[in-house]
Amino acid sequence: MSGAGSGADTPNQSSTPSTARGPGRVLVAVYAVFALAASARAGVQLIRDWHEAPLAYGLSALAAVVYIVATVCLARGYRRFATVAVSVELIGVLVVGALSLADPAAFPRATVWSAFGQGYGYVPLVLPVLGLAWLRRTRPAGARS
Amino acid sequence: MVIPLALVVAALALVLVVWAGVFALRDRPVVLNQLLGAAVVEVAILAEAVVAVVHVVGGAHVREPGTFVGYMFTTLVVLPFAASWAFAERTRWSSVVMVVAGITVAFLQVRLLQVWGAM
Repeated sequence: MSGAGSGADTPNQSSTPSTARGPGRVLVAVYAVFALAASARAGVQLIRDWHEAPLAYGLSALAAVVYIVATVCLARGYRRFATVAVSVELIGVLVVGALSLADPAAFPRATVWSAFGQGYGYVPLVLPVLGLAWLRRTRPAGARS
Repeated sequence: MVIPLALVVAALALVLVVWAGVFALRDRPVVLNQLLGAAVVEVAILAEAVVAVVHVVGGAHVREPGTFVGYMFTTLVVLPFAASWAFAERTRWSSVVMVVAGITVAFLQVRLLQVWGAM
């Protein structure tokens, strides 16, 4: 994804929040795909074989919820909730990624975040970093927190 | 019949990825012809879904039926979603969204074949 310039398109499309315009649409689209895929997968796992690996499947469900919240908040421009959701996601992928490598026995079944998202081309690891960078980039002038 | 159709869908989706990718690199938004291309892919996906249902009704064994339905649903909604954004976002980023959507559809065909039990 080259070219930083075209993100600075006209801010007069008032109905679309800044977090969901230009490159933000790509971000929301990727989040939506992960929200949908993670929910579908977690739902099946929870219903069918929860008892096999409660920790791994519980984490899958948590990841799915986080992706849904992040998608909605980025799309609607709820910056604060989006920042929280994306931060939780980053912490989740780092902690679960490290634990799954350090103690594989605790994670007998794969989650989205296992091995830092290796099974998903490391997208789960890259996505929150891009998300936070994008939230920072689009923050309104004067708002510094 | 599900396996060849999934391969056709994946191939068509990848053609769309290359087409939209060229547009993204040239700083151009999605054009109407690409939406028609996406519609062709969508028709192929619908055919795949119908054939899968017919097979299941006919007693075919699916390795992971729940996951198959989930992925099939995702595959069905991705392109219409990207197409609707192509109208709202008249910049190169609509082309990038189309690239992401095409890659998603192609990747999901691989997963669909796995949970169908073909791989």
